[in-house]
Amino acid sequence: MKYWFNLIAQSQGKRLYIGIFWAFITALSGIALLMLSGWFITATALTGLAISAGLVVIFDMYMPGSGIRFFTLSRTVGRYVERLYNHDSILRLISTYRLTLFKSLSNLSNQQLRATSDSEWLGRLTADLDALDAILLSYIIPPIVATLSVVTLTFFLGFFWFDLAIYLGSILLLCLFASIRITVTRTKEYGSLTASLLNASRSDVIEHLQGAYELQSNGLMQQHEQSILKRLDEFYRAQAKLNSNLANIQWGLDCVLGFIMMSLIIAGLMAINAELISGPVAIMIVMMFLGLSELLQAIPSQFSRWGATSFAAKRLKQLVETTPPAQTAMITKIDSLAVSLYQNSKIAVSQQQTLSFSLTQHQLVNIQGRSGSGKSTIARLLTGAESLASKAENAIYNPTETTTDIRINGEFNLNDIDLENWYSHIGYLEQRNTLLAGTLGYNLTIGLSDDDLKASEHDIWAVLKMVELFDWANSLPEGLNTWLGEVGSKVSGGQARRICLARLLLRDPQLVILDEPFNGIDHVMAARIWNNIEPWISPRMTILLTHERPDYVLHKNFHTVVF
Amino acid sequence: MTVINKQGIDSQQPVGKSKPTGREFLNQYVKQEKVALRSAVIAGSFSTLLLICQWLAFVYIAQAIIIAHEPILNQTRLLLVLLGCIIGRTFLTRIQTHFSQQASLNIRNSIRKTMLSHWRMSSPMRLTNTSTGAFASQFVEEVESMDGYFSNYWPQQALAIISPLLILCAVGYLNWLSALLLLISAPLIPLFMILVGMGAEALNQKYSTLRQRLAGHFLDRVAHLSTVLQLGGKDEVFAEVESNSERYRSVVMKTLKVAFLSSTVLEFFTSIAIAMLAIFIGFSLYGAITWGPAESLTLFSGLTILILAPEFFQPLRNLSQFYHDRASALGAANNLVESLFDTADNTHNLNQYESSHGDKQTSLDSSSNNNLDSSSNNSCANASRLVLSQLVVGFDLPLTSPLTWDIPTSNLVVISGDSGSGKTTLLNTLAGFMPALSGSMTHSIKGSIAYLPQKPWIKNNTIYENLKALAPNATRAEMTAALDQLSLLDELAANRLGLDTLIGEHGKGLSGGQMQRMAFARVLLNPTPIIIFDEPTAQLDLHSKALIYNALKILKDKRILIIASHDPLLIEQSDFHIKLGDIKPSKV
Repeated sequence: MKYWFNLIAQSQGKRLYIGIFWAFITALSGIALLMLSGWFITATALTGLAISAGLVVIFDMYMPGSGIRFFTLSRTVGRYVERLYNHDSILRLISTYRLTLFKSLSNLSNQQLRATSDSEWLGRLTADLDALDAILLSYIIPPIVATLSVVTLTFFLGFFWFDLAIYLGSILLLCLFASIRITVTRTKEYGSLTASLLNASRSDVIEHLQGAYELQSNGLMQQHEQSILKRLDEFYRAQAKLNSNLANIQWGLDCVLGFIMMSLIIAGLMAINAELISGPVAIMIVMMFLGLSELLQAIPSQFSRWGATSFAAKRLKQLVETTPPAQTAMITKIDSLAVSLYQNSKIAVSQQQTLSFSLTQHQLVNIQGRSGSGKSTIARLLTGAESLASKAENAIYNPTETTTDIRINGEFNLNDIDLENWYSHIGYLEQRNTLLAGTLGYNLTIGLSDDDLKASEHDIWAVLKMVELFDWANSLPEGLNTWLGEVGSKVSGGQARRICLARLLLRDPQLVILDEPFNGIDHVMAARIWNNIEPWISPRMTILLTHERPDYVLHKNFHTVVF
Repeated sequence: MTVINKQGIDSQQPVGKSKPTGREFLNQYVKQEKVALRSAVIAGSFSTLLLICQWLAFVYIAQAIIIAHEPILNQTRLLLVLLGCIIGRTFLTRIQTHFSQQASLNIRNSIRKTMLSHWRMSSPMRLTNTSTGAFASQFVEEVESMDGYFSNYWPQQALAIISPLLILCAVGYLNWLSALLLLISAPLIPLFMILVGMGAEALNQKYSTLRQRLAGHFLDRVAHLSTVLQLGGKDEVFAEVESNSERYRSVVMKTLKVAFLSSTVLEFFTSIAIAMLAIFIGFSLYGAITWGPAESLTLFSGLTILILAPEFFQPLRNLSQFYHDRASALGAANNLVESLFDTADNTHNLNQYESSHGDKQTSLDSSSNNNLDSSSNNSCANASRLVLSQLVVGFDLPLTSPLTWDIPTSNLVVISGDSGSGKTTLLNTLAGFMPALSGSMTHSIKGSIAYLPQKPWIKNNTIYENLKALAPNATRAEMTAALDQLSLLDELAANRLGLDTLIGEHGKGLSGGQMQRMAFARVLLNPTPIIIFDEPTAQLDLHSKALIYNALKILKDKRILIIASHDPLLIEQSDFHIKLGDIKPSKV
């Protein structure tokens, strides 16, 4: 939590003060309006009575009248500006959070990164980020504004009745800090608990539904629900406890403020009896207290989400605290590649025999295997998406030695090579289509630096021709600027596949890994596309993963590994 | 005995419950908790009454002391009334909170129970095809987002009418002109708020696509982070995140500038009303205004009106604060309605499950039977067999030619065929997860059909919990024996934790073979007369395969095993081998 407070202070700085200033002006105007009106009415009533009694009294009706009009205006304008300004700050903060997070996430190891494409993980990230909004809007601005208002108004009160101002000011500040402190300590634990129980029940539900085949067929769905219901029950209990604690704190605060008001009324009225203060001033003091207590009463609910926020803040902090991976070896070119796998738990064939192959330039290896046989695992191993160092974890079950060795240029182990450096030398077509929400042109050229060929539209159209998408792209009203993804035009699976392939063709990798490149594309089209890209493929090292023999490949250095 | 056939399913389908709107859905639950919700509203209304009494008492005392210069000790009775009102109000507020939170909790609980029972009756194909994460977030977040609607918005909706009316009565009794002023300003507020809301909505529409694209950008790039890194786009996307957040901010601010006007309108009317009343009352008391009801104003009535004026607007302000609770609850309710009242295929699955797994074995609807033997009651005693008659499976188009089987018990059936030949569809139909296109299936076996999908289900829990989930009656000794039979005991549970060893993501990750064997251990512990396996030996190492062949041999006795597989060893062992690939899908 402290980390995020600091981040707000650093990134917002002056904006924070301006936002607080406007909120303060608004609060003060509201209270002042009440105070002035109360004073005015009482004063006019007294004057009116004096006049009708025949006394000559000089009373300026117009100064207070225009004061009332001024506060009306400043309260309205203040409220509008304050809300707008502080929401602007929040949006700026969100931007800061996102940048900080994104920077750290790109340092995550590849295995951890696989989690980020998971919708559950993304949902949690969004919820956690949303929870941070409360820091500025609930934990920073309201208590500061309340403190400032109490201090300013008691200072003002000091001019009329010094002793009362001292007592009232210190009691109200005490109430303010006590209610913050009590709310935080009494709700924090249950707030975190409810947040974590909610997360746990989310996992429970996912697990429950994933087991639907087995549970449903055995008629055990209802029995298995019990664990979810139990968890929910715990959640409801924790939430009820949280809510009732909060409501009790609110009740306590209301009672305390009620007693203070009662004492204030009695003290004020006695002071009138004793002619310490005038009637209008006494009414003004009561009205002032009314306004201030409204600010104070809001505090418990503002701080009620502290537990949940600190839960989210802690989790996000863990994400932020990543360190860049330690691989340091740099290569300038890939000349050769040697892969040797034995007893990899995800590759069935490697259980019985060592699986090995090697590649140099102008060579193509075709790895054939049925879906699920582990051929994508090889691709993921080569791209660092799967950990090579599975030796340690596997040793628990498999007493035999596990070896996965990927050697580059005969000297480097893939584990030691800096990933960013490695990525700049390979081209990987994943099994799933990975289109980004963006334009067609963007999807093709992402990651290419300007001096590569980003500017050259000619090249883009050339690769679209190679994957037989030229006519389609040409027919789009917005051409390369057509937006792809959820909020844009829909592309078919086959088109998406070819766009992903075209994306590679714009690059110059030495090692090309194609995982089922023609998934969702018919044989004739596949053969045509392969024929088109053959000149691009042939000078490179290529690993082609397919589930059956690819008839279209007429490569001279064709080597096949069958799973 | 269970019969599945197309005609039967159609006749079993109940007259579909019509799909309610999101609002109707919410109202239905409001009705369920109306006692608590109404109690909350009543507590809130009494609190307003006490508020009025409190200020009347206060102003009365104040007038007596300021104008009549009475000593405060003369007013002890009224002072006690004042204290009673102040403390009584805090108590009523507490009660109001209690009731509304109770109602919200009960409602959320029953919505979640409805969802669970809906899932219980849905086909697992539907539950696992769509992202289970999406269902989970409906169950967790979306239901939770309704909390504010039930605990805040709904009671406030009623109080926003009741409380101002009560205050209006009090003000009207004191001075009708002031009441009239409040009465005029009150409907103006919603009017202006609606006008502003319409303006904001128009702006929202205008930027809607841009907003969605910008809002989704960050999550999209995080989701595709590995692709971005592979393509070397890290720095580029980093710059994008920055510029898009900035653009998003400017777009959102444009809308907010208008949207916030609505709360400003409220604020403005509240302030203006106080100011007008203050000046009117002040001038009347001073004697500058002498017409109409101004003359009758005293400090007592004037001050009371002034203090009550902000309270007149307060419930409306609260309501507008809770307004987004309503929006999010409606959004969530609409989503829930979509998935709860999805399609007809849920309802017929529901019937199948009731007939095959219901507590009553004879629960089968007799009308569903067209030409097959209707001796369903005594058939349990018959020798077990599985009979298919002209069964055609598929989604909309048939995937298989009509299948006619008659398989007695203690037999192993292997179904093979290329991918796309309908193996899994056939298994799903046999298991009762989807309707057959035509034909019928009869099995005269008491009990259920177990189904093992290709990827076994492993809970992130202990071995014990994993086994217990599907074999609730197995003892720990039986579990240990079953694990030992599959050589899992040495591999997983050898350490001192035994059955309490954690497996799954939270504990030891299992290899494919170990997962499959774990699934078999469950079947060994709780075998059903018909067991369906989808590719149980694919991707397995020899060690695991051998253990699974052995387990199949044990299971085969007095049972029918149906296995989709390409494994030549399994095909060799089978009593019946059905090859689906030979048959080309025929057109309707």
